[in-house]
Amino acid sequence: MRLLARAPILLLLLIGYPVLVALLAAAALQGQGRAPTIALVNLDTAAQTVQVGDQRLSVDDYINRLAKQVHVERLGADQARQALDAGRVEAVLTVPAGFIADLQSGLVQPTLHLVTSRRSPIEGDAVAHQLQSAVYEFNQSLAQNYVSQILRLANLIVVGGQVGIFGRQGQVIGLTRTRRIVAQAHDQLLQRGQVRLAADLASVLSFINATQSNLGLAAPAASAIASPIRLDIVQAEHGREPLSAFGVAAALLASLALVGVLLSAGGIAAEREEHTLARLRRGLLAPPAIVLEKVLFSALACLALGLVLLGAVDLLTGLEVGRWAAWVPVLVLAGASFGAFGVIIGAIARETRTALLAALMLTLPLVFIGLIPGIAASRVAQVVPFGPGFNVFQTLLADPTIGGIWPDVLSLGILTAVFTGAAAVVLDRWSSA
Amino acid sequence: MVEARGLVRRYRHVTALQDVDFRLAAGDAVALVGPNGAGKTTLMELLAGVDRQSAGSVKWGAPDAPVRVGWVPHSPALYSRLTVRQNLLFFARLERVKDPRREIERLLDRADLSEVADRPVAALSTGTRQRVNLAIALVGRPSALLLDEPSATLSPDQRLRLWQWLSDLRTEDGLALLFATQSVQEAERHADRMMVLVRGKSVFEGTVAQLLQAYPQGSSSGDAAEQAFMQLIEAAPSAA
Repeated sequence: MRLLARAPILLLLLIGYPVLVALLAAAALQGQGRAPTIALVNLDTAAQTVQVGDQRLSVDDYINRLAKQVHVERLGADQARQALDAGRVEAVLTVPAGFIADLQSGLVQPTLHLVTSRRSPIEGDAVAHQLQSAVYEFNQSLAQNYVSQILRLANLIVVGGQVGIFGRQGQVIGLTRTRRIVAQAHDQLLQRGQVRLAADLASVLSFINATQSNLGLAAPAASAIASPIRLDIVQAEHGREPLSAFGVAAALLASLALVGVLLSAGGIAAEREEHTLARLRRGLLAPPAIVLEKVLFSALACLALGLVLLGAVDLLTGLEVGRWAAWVPVLVLAGASFGAFGVIIGAIARETRTALLAALMLTLPLVFIGLIPGIAASRVAQVVPFGPGFNVFQTLLADPTIGGIWPDVLSLGILTAVFTGAAAVVLDRWSSA
Repeated sequence: MVEARGLVRRYRHVTALQDVDFRLAAGDAVALVGPNGAGKTTLMELLAGVDRQSAGSVKWGAPDAPVRVGWVPHSPALYSRLTVRQNLLFFARLERVKDPRREIERLLDRADLSEVADRPVAALSTGTRQRVNLAIALVGRPSALLLDEPSATLSPDQRLRLWQWLSDLRTEDGLALLFATQSVQEAERHADRMMVLVRGKSVFEGTVAQLLQAYPQGSSSGDAAEQAFMQLIEAAPSAA
């Protein structure tokens, strides 16, 4: 404790680092800290408001309410599909043609269609829940109006008068007045000695009495109308088991990143600690050759480990891996980039233990940043190999075509070259110091 | 064989070596003597090509006839998890030695390492590790050997065996030796001449007899040479 008290930076690191990793992990897994973007496709352009009894509810009001929870981007159907495929939006919400008319009629339950992304399944899940919540709130508003209208209708049936509901207007005589008229007719028939007809009217009177009593149950019965709008949620048709693919890609990234970075960082630092690096550098091997050897070793180690992990996933889980021919160069490239990143850390650190600790402490948060969706995290993740690595892994596991991996593969290639070059420079400068 | 001129090595805030000239001829045995921090290791690493000088030049042989140099660092530079044989084979292949296995057997025999050839370096004693360290420096049959305090961590009997081996290498193979040491006695015993470094500067170059002439003591015994060496250090300029 005294040692820690005398080393405030170490104390801060010991407390702050686990907190940082935990926050990044939470952000990666829950997509917190930003509102997801959904595309809104409005195919019902006939009306802009919903008439419910005397009240008028606007669809735009509903959209604005939704916009408090998610970013809403109004797009055409094709544009929305493209945006979903490209990962620019997490879901597409479609208001179908005739939606307003169905809502106003009260005869057909109108349905909103939500298509969530397979590229970001956790985000898609969050969007689905947020929209369910928004639809529920809107349904509550509508239901309250419907219940109030139905109670008014029940009252009109009892007492009579003008009624307008679901867009229809009518004159209702009312049970009270009907009963009075029927009772008068019943009495007159008895006075005239038409007992048989009077008995028939007595049964009508009995029905009216029963109806009046039963209408007392109208309020709770009307309350049962709770969901005027239905939300139909489906996931995009293409892709395979998105949540499993996301998890496997994340696990693969974490495993390979740690192995690649720790192996190369530990390897170069161990050579330095054992003084063999100095022996190698005196004309036997140039710094670029030493770095290249570590990078290649990391690439081969990641290839072997990656194939074993993917093989286990393929055999033991329901996720079909496939695309083995593509996995081989991707794993080699990812391993090489992780290795080059590790060599820089190993070349700077003076001891093996320091190198391993630094590699671990740097790699973990950077891996989690690579998993967090969103522009800010994406920009950070793109300057280290973990962001493009994760994108490539996820595309190979989940997307129907692999054409989308090329930008990330190119990015991995560039980062490998840049980090290998930087590692050679760092090794040349630092290892002789 | 090697000629170094105006060597300077600066680190961020420290000048470890300042304007040092040095020459080593074929078959020479030269001792670099100086206290801790004098710049012996720095000069040795610049000559060995492990480090780069901030200024000055080092030339080993002629451009058309480069000299092969063996380097024995102060701490054994070995892969501790590999066996003695694996270490030798690894460096022999890097040195592009023809028939490396045969060369290794020769070195194992000469360094008296055959019995421990297949043991990991981590399991060896300090003295044996130093012999492996020296054996690796001899891979590729160098013409000159640079040794950075080779006997500093050895027991008296190990020290004796090491110097005997180095003496044999010099007489049988004609190797030139440059070794760093803190002991004037060791320099007197195993070197033809010595260079004294103090705070990065060369303050004396010559034989022990010349040192005693410059700083005369009561006798020419080892103690007298040490006392003369101490006087030389005290007389050296303090500012680096």
